[in-house]
Amino acid sequence: MSLVHLQEAFRAKKHHLSAFLVLGDPTLEVSFELAKKAIELGATMLEVGIAYGDPSADGPAIQKANLRAMAAEAHTEAAFGVMRRIHEAFPHVPMNLLVYGNLVHARGFERFVDEALAAGASSLLVPDILFEEGEELRAVCKAKGLGHAELAGPLTTPKRLVRLAKTIDAYLYLVAFQGVTGARTGGGDAIGELVTRVSAGVDVPVCVGFGLSSGEQVGKVFDSGARVAVVGSYLANAIEAGVNAGPIGDGRHVVESFAKAFAPLAETAKRYG
Amino acid sequence: MPSKADLTPRKGAFGAYGGRYVSELLVPALDELEEARKTIVRSSSFKREFRETLREWAGRPTPLTYVANFSKLCNLQVYLKREDLLHGGAHKTNNVVGQGILAKRMGKKRIIAETGAGQHGVATAMVGARLGFETVVYMGARDVERQAPNVKRMQLCGATVVPVETGSQTLKDAINEALRDWTANLENTHYLLGTVCGPDPFPRLVRDFHRVIGKEAKQQWGDRVGGLPRAVVACVGGGSNAIGIFKAFEKDREVDLVGVEPGGHGLESGEHGATLSKGTVGLLHGARTSVMQDPFGQILEPHSVAAGLDYPGVGPEHAYLRDIGRARYEWATDDEAIEAFETLARTEGIIPAFESAHAIAYAMKAVKLGHYEPGARILINCSGRGDKDLDTYRKLYGHRIGGGVSGAKGAHA
Repeated sequence: MSLVHLQEAFRAKKHHLSAFLVLGDPTLEVSFELAKKAIELGATMLEVGIAYGDPSADGPAIQKANLRAMAAEAHTEAAFGVMRRIHEAFPHVPMNLLVYGNLVHARGFERFVDEALAAGASSLLVPDILFEEGEELRAVCKAKGLGHAELAGPLTTPKRLVRLAKTIDAYLYLVAFQGVTGARTGGGDAIGELVTRVSAGVDVPVCVGFGLSSGEQVGKVFDSGARVAVVGSYLANAIEAGVNAGPIGDGRHVVESFAKAFAPLAETAKRYG
Repeated sequence: MPSKADLTPRKGAFGAYGGRYVSELLVPALDELEEARKTIVRSSSFKREFRETLREWAGRPTPLTYVANFSKLCNLQVYLKREDLLHGGAHKTNNVVGQGILAKRMGKKRIIAETGAGQHGVATAMVGARLGFETVVYMGARDVERQAPNVKRMQLCGATVVPVETGSQTLKDAINEALRDWTANLENTHYLLGTVCGPDPFPRLVRDFHRVIGKEAKQQWGDRVGGLPRAVVACVGGGSNAIGIFKAFEKDREVDLVGVEPGGHGLESGEHGATLSKGTVGLLHGARTSVMQDPFGQILEPHSVAAGLDYPGVGPEHAYLRDIGRARYEWATDDEAIEAFETLARTEGIIPAFESAHAIAYAMKAVKLGHYEPGARILINCSGRGDKDLDTYRKLYGHRIGGGVSGAKGAHA
């Protein structure tokens, strides 16, 4: 997989619903089952994260997802293993890797990007390597054909959005709320205005995440011009509920809890081409 | 090991260290702070208010004390810069006064801070009370238990103390939580970071507020002793007191700058916080610096008897000073620090903080190690007082307390 596959997906279909999963949450095996379920229900992309002990941009739901995956020993190599399995089973579903900078830095940029590509990644977003500090990483991604994404937020100035967009070849990940990750209800109109403004200002696909938790929000995001809607914390909460319901075992009840949460959002997304 | 060429910081870099490794969402806050640093902090009215507050509220200048009895034991001539006598009991007050006045002038209504041992939290709560801020202090849940008296002091000054239950529930998690709060509330909130770590401009901002330590010490040394010290010694956790005293002597090449890291149970044990001696290059809390991490880049939990040194990273400027050979970093173990803590109390009537005791412990072994000729004149930054550590001392080392209370046996206190 590489950037080319992501670009193909964007050509083939306008709107994409993406599920964010921390690889290895709650176990390596169940994590694969969750990805499978998300795709079966209608996710046409996946955002995947590698567990990190200091996720300073994440709220409680994804912090806990990270801790569950770390307890399952889902370190970088094991996480790439899960990605490979997902990729082998669903070769046409792009996987966008969201990973904290120190995991990439510790492995070395070249090696990390090589391994991510081999595991089936289409693109890479490192939320804590700021645009100004990212030149080397962007160069490695570009040379090897891994897509490169950047974050933007509600307070990112229009001038800066244009600067960010110039270097991006995968998508612009727009954070819908100023704050850390976490499921939020409502806020539809404000998100709509933000997405409309940003989508109109840049000529790269806009992906919206951080807090989406309902079909209504997903619809609003698509209507406002976004190409990808990412659901993360809301699903992490569903996974947690499944984990708390009893021993993980084969993970059936975790997958059920996850599916119940994701299905209504997937139904909304199906109404969009 | 990542090569240096892999990543070169741009924003506020100290050679291969520093930079801004944070989320895009923090950019507006960091840009605003950098702008304020360039304009407000450099203005004469800010400088005047900073100077006056340090003098009238915090008690500057702090003395330089020659410790004759202790010197004899070390076979050196030891002078202490008495930051332990600063209001609040440690050097931390310099930084909170600076950032507090800055936040006020930036129009912020709320200040947040992280704290490990509680010293920075207490200092922030004190300045928050004086300047009329709503003050929130994030503290690892484990530290809240370990440092109960400091929690009370913060609350007494009107601050809200939020125990952080995530991760390892210590300082690094408190910093993560403060960063999260700041991201969500940056419009009315200033993050009053407590050391020379974090994303640019914090390492420079905090350093500059602590420069007063070295400036005073150099002046006092010139007036009282003459010439320059052979070495300037300070403990290093994040490294703010060390950078504060080092900066004034940085250009005097004949003066050794010695940072003393927490050796915990010994460097071989793996249970220590000697980030500069044993760490590798990584990204932590917004900076590229020397970090304690596993081969995958997961941050490791350090150990030190001194909670204020219990940090898996270090200020990026220290990593730079190490690389260019301008500063040297040694370590002292928990046991050595405790011995120094007891020794200084018995010989001089000064109870240093466990943190500062690491610098004092180095002085006790410097001649034996052959680092200095007997009689060399050494300046040590006594960065804090040890009152806060008495509970821990009693629990861990209480059996060693000598002296006794007259007639204590069987007596009712």
